[in-house]
Amino acid sequence: MTTLRPFTCDDLFKFNNVNFDPLTETYGLSFYTHYLAKWPEYFQLAESPSGQIMGYIMGKVEGLSDNWHGHVTALTVSPDYRRLGLAALLMNFLEDVSEKKRAYFVDLFVRKSNQVAINMYKNLGYIIYRTILEYYSGDQDEDAYDMRKAMSRDVNKKSVIPYTQPVTMRELRRELRHEQQKVQQNL
Amino acid sequence: MSHQQQQQGMDSALFERRLRPVYDNLEVGNNRKALQESEKLLKKHPNLFCARALKGLSLLRLGRYEESHSCLQAVAEEKPTDDSTLQVLSFCYREMEQLDKIVELYQHAVKQNPGNEELLAHLFISHVRVEDYKAQQAVALQLYKTQPKNAYYFWSVISVVFQGIRGPESAIPEKRKIYLALAQRMVDKHIKESKMETEQEAFLYLHILKLQNKYQEAWEFLNGELCAKLYPGAPVSMKFELLKKLGNWQKLNELLQELLDADRDRWDYYKEYIQSSFELLETPSEDQINPDKQGFLASCQAFLERIIETSERKKRGPYLARLELHQRMRAVQMPADKLIGDFDELIIEYFQLFGDKSCCTHDIALFLPSISMKQRQDLASKLLAECDISSSSLPQNKEHMQKHICALQISRMCGSHLDLPVDHLLAFYTALKLHYEHGRSTFGKQLLATEMGPSDPYALLAANVMYDISQRENKSDQLFEALCLLQYVLRNSTSNFHVKLLSLKIYHMFGCLLGAQEMYDYLDIKQIQLDSMGYAHCQLLPLSGRFAGARNCYDATLKFFTNSYKERLEYIALTYRFCTFSKMEEFLNFKERLTNSLQYVSCSVEAQICDLVSCYGNVQQNLSSYMAMSIEPAEDRIAWHELSDNRDLEAIIRWDPLHLVDTEAQRKESFDQEVEVLQIRSLMLRLFAAFIDLNHGTKNNSGEGSGKATATLELLRDSWTGLYQRLRLMNYKPLSQTFLVNLLPTRLHLLLELPYESFMDDLAQLVLDLHSGANRLTEQCKRMGDNVVLVMELFVHTITESNEWNGMDGLWKRREHQQKVAACLELLSLYAFLLSVLNEKLQVISKTKTKKNRSSADNKNQDATISEKERGQMVHELMRQLKHKLEACDAAIRTWKAPVLPRDLSSFMADMSLKPEVEATLIGDVSATFKESHELMVTELRNLLKDKIRMSAK
Repeated sequence: MTTLRPFTCDDLFKFNNVNFDPLTETYGLSFYTHYLAKWPEYFQLAESPSGQIMGYIMGKVEGLSDNWHGHVTALTVSPDYRRLGLAALLMNFLEDVSEKKRAYFVDLFVRKSNQVAINMYKNLGYIIYRTILEYYSGDQDEDAYDMRKAMSRDVNKKSVIPYTQPVTMRELRRELRHEQQKVQQNL
Repeated sequence: MSHQQQQQGMDSALFERRLRPVYDNLEVGNNRKALQESEKLLKKHPNLFCARALKGLSLLRLGRYEESHSCLQAVAEEKPTDDSTLQVLSFCYREMEQLDKIVELYQHAVKQNPGNEELLAHLFISHVRVEDYKAQQAVALQLYKTQPKNAYYFWSVISVVFQGIRGPESAIPEKRKIYLALAQRMVDKHIKESKMETEQEAFLYLHILKLQNKYQEAWEFLNGELCAKLYPGAPVSMKFELLKKLGNWQKLNELLQELLDADRDRWDYYKEYIQSSFELLETPSEDQINPDKQGFLASCQAFLERIIETSERKKRGPYLARLELHQRMRAVQMPADKLIGDFDELIIEYFQLFGDKSCCTHDIALFLPSISMKQRQDLASKLLAECDISSSSLPQNKEHMQKHICALQISRMCGSHLDLPVDHLLAFYTALKLHYEHGRSTFGKQLLATEMGPSDPYALLAANVMYDISQRENKSDQLFEALCLLQYVLRNSTSNFHVKLLSLKIYHMFGCLLGAQEMYDYLDIKQIQLDSMGYAHCQLLPLSGRFAGARNCYDATLKFFTNSYKERLEYIALTYRFCTFSKMEEFLNFKERLTNSLQYVSCSVEAQICDLVSCYGNVQQNLSSYMAMSIEPAEDRIAWHELSDNRDLEAIIRWDPLHLVDTEAQRKESFDQEVEVLQIRSLMLRLFAAFIDLNHGTKNNSGEGSGKATATLELLRDSWTGLYQRLRLMNYKPLSQTFLVNLLPTRLHLLLELPYESFMDDLAQLVLDLHSGANRLTEQCKRMGDNVVLVMELFVHTITESNEWNGMDGLWKRREHQQKVAACLELLSLYAFLLSVLNEKLQVISKTKTKKNRSSADNKNQDATISEKERGQMVHELMRQLKHKLEACDAAIRTWKAPVLPRDLSSFMADMSLKPEVEATLIGDVSATFKESHELMVTELRNLLKDKIRMSAK
């Protein structure tokens, strides 16, 4: 039982019961404000009938031509509201927005060890598109799965033909830089 | 090409290469080197604006403000137009909060380069920073003329809107109307020319219509072709809002049925749906003369039943909606039982279906306030009976256990534990503890490090129960045991933040700052959480027993605030850059909340007081640190009416009896008291700064400056006594401590009880008399001496009392005692600093005076006043006395014993299946934390005393 509504700045003061969770990162303000300012419709919050924050999803839409896609930056659900299908609800919402924005696919990164999350994404129709080596840095670096789901615009499901070779961080960065340069040329 | 461009742009690539080292050094914080590099460059090219601006920035970073200022001013006066110089200058002005200077800068630049899009855009943003909407509008239109981009057009539209709803004229209804109408016309024109392009533009148009109450037009636009094309993601809630405004309940009702059929777990939909059904009841029907009014509710009920019956997977939505309908019908005395059924049975059904979800407690709690206390407690018993768990039968599986937990939480919320005698409560605690241990060993074995233990809630509840007992008995034993239990839980489930938050609270209650700090660090509170959660730790640190230790925590918090303060306007600029009209007001309000955070302001004040208390250098060093704080006694920089309460009080979970918990009332009460505390603290700081200023710095020593400083001091002294007078009349009650999760008492009563008022008041008189050399100085010195004796005696007495309490209960009064000791020490430390400054000044004066007296014997007015030399002797005497009393304090603090902990602990977990060594290390660790915390505190306070004794030894 949920109220879905856009995430607002004021929610930053109230999201502690969600963000105290060890898998949820609390970022610097500029990170949140950047998302709120640039992709407001991609930052959505689920609220319980008692007004508590149950969880939220944060994402963006970007990319050129057939790489135009929705991306899930953060998805988190409070420990009190797990096993209620909330993550699926939030993911559906983001996919719906991406459909409306005519995105070709939606993608996300997940820790290779986070089996619970990987299974959930699989159940929602995501496939493991490729592995990114040492994407998560920390005491022990960890690989990430880049998971994808095609949207209706990608009629031939070209976006979800998996890569067999793992990708290094350097290659990923180059890819992003390349994309950015193209964007700048287009402006 | 203008002369300036010729001069500056000779070879931009070359200059860029030469400037690079300056930029690079600034970036890595090597400011000294950056300054050298810029000076080197200026030797060759003395007129290179950008190098001069960078030199100004380097000086600014090095804290050489006056040089920096003149350097920047000189460049600005040349009215530069090149981008890099302008960027550097506006960066500096942003840093110095001189935002209007940036406006001027770009105004000049635009004047010289009319029609330059980039410069105009910068000018626009510079107006955004100072919230000058009128100027924004003008520049946006200029921009649009230069480059007919939609963004610029809508920048001007939103600027017009803001003049109507936020600007200085927004309070005048006619003006508001005119601005909004103008904004609408501007967009209408654009639509007519088929130039509307984006979703945010469509949003803005809808917003403008709504602001003018033009709901019908908004409805039509929202459902029109253009909006569907541009704004397919328009939230459906916008439709609800408009239909409600239009009173079209029928349509709303139908729309929601449609939506709910597709999406059956949406509380926002159900809520609106039920409301629309009730509204339909009220609407006079045209078709029928005497319609069956309840028909609407019956069909609402039927709809919910249908959803329930046709759903494959059980969802909470329709069940909760049915309960909501029941509740709302009862609220208007309608026969809910007859239509929907017995309330208790509905709740029990809900519990049977969803009791195994941890959110079930929150859900059921929604409906408890609408029934009587008697019914609540009966219901609670029924739910417990449903669980079928007794002393002899344990939960069969995880789900069963979660149900039990839910029933127990509800029964506490219903007040079932309130009337139990202590021995029952103790038995209940034991049962909870055993349930925790059973659940942990049976269902919680393969826990991931990131998961909470499934039986943890038992232990959390147990801690609350133990607090209740402690509170009734006024003894710490039970609560200390609860703390040990929580620490045990934390070893098993390292990520349970509820456990950390409760432990943090208990450690603070018992004055164990080290334990509190550990829990706080463990919570990993950072960024904006430093604001919203600061109340749980940082806000409790001032006067808690340590100074240096607390200072670190203020530092981390202030770092976040100063950073976000610097960035706050760039966030707003970002919304313009991306044309996110839907977020602009929100961002503007957020900026206000953040910059006026009470946590921010009070943390800054406490950090300053802490620095003055702890300074340990020689007089000159101390004075220069004081100067660096740039306190302006005459100026009250706090926007008292704007202070914002950003605390997330809901973050700490509770199941306390609903009828005894009024979170909003507690929020207001505690906030009001915190604001009063801040009044005292900031005024004390300003008063103290006035003492110093009167005796330090050349401008205040004689003549006009001195008169002004004296006047300021007198004014502040009056405010000080006035404030205390008012606070005593206000008769604030200490915050209620009924439940564990309640906030700890504020420092207000401490500050009223301890001799702050008279101490500072008498000190003010002493400073004034010393300055003028008034005849009553001797008397005033004696008064001050009495104050010092009083404080010293209070200090010594508190320690004796604390040691005596150790015989009965080492923890119950610990925090209170530590607070008193810290407060006494704070007063004496400030006094010591002041005396050292007074002494220094009088010494200097009497030396110069003697010389003067020798050359010209102008002694006419000396008779009426006490000579500087005598004053110097008096200050010496005061210092001697202070030193003596500080030594007495030091002697007392050496006798301060670490808290004696409850004794029978080693067996408290005997009935749990704990390995003896686990138990031993657990209790050992907690005890060691208390001991170490005390020792750290005593060491720190003794060091402080030593510094002050040294300071007073002249």
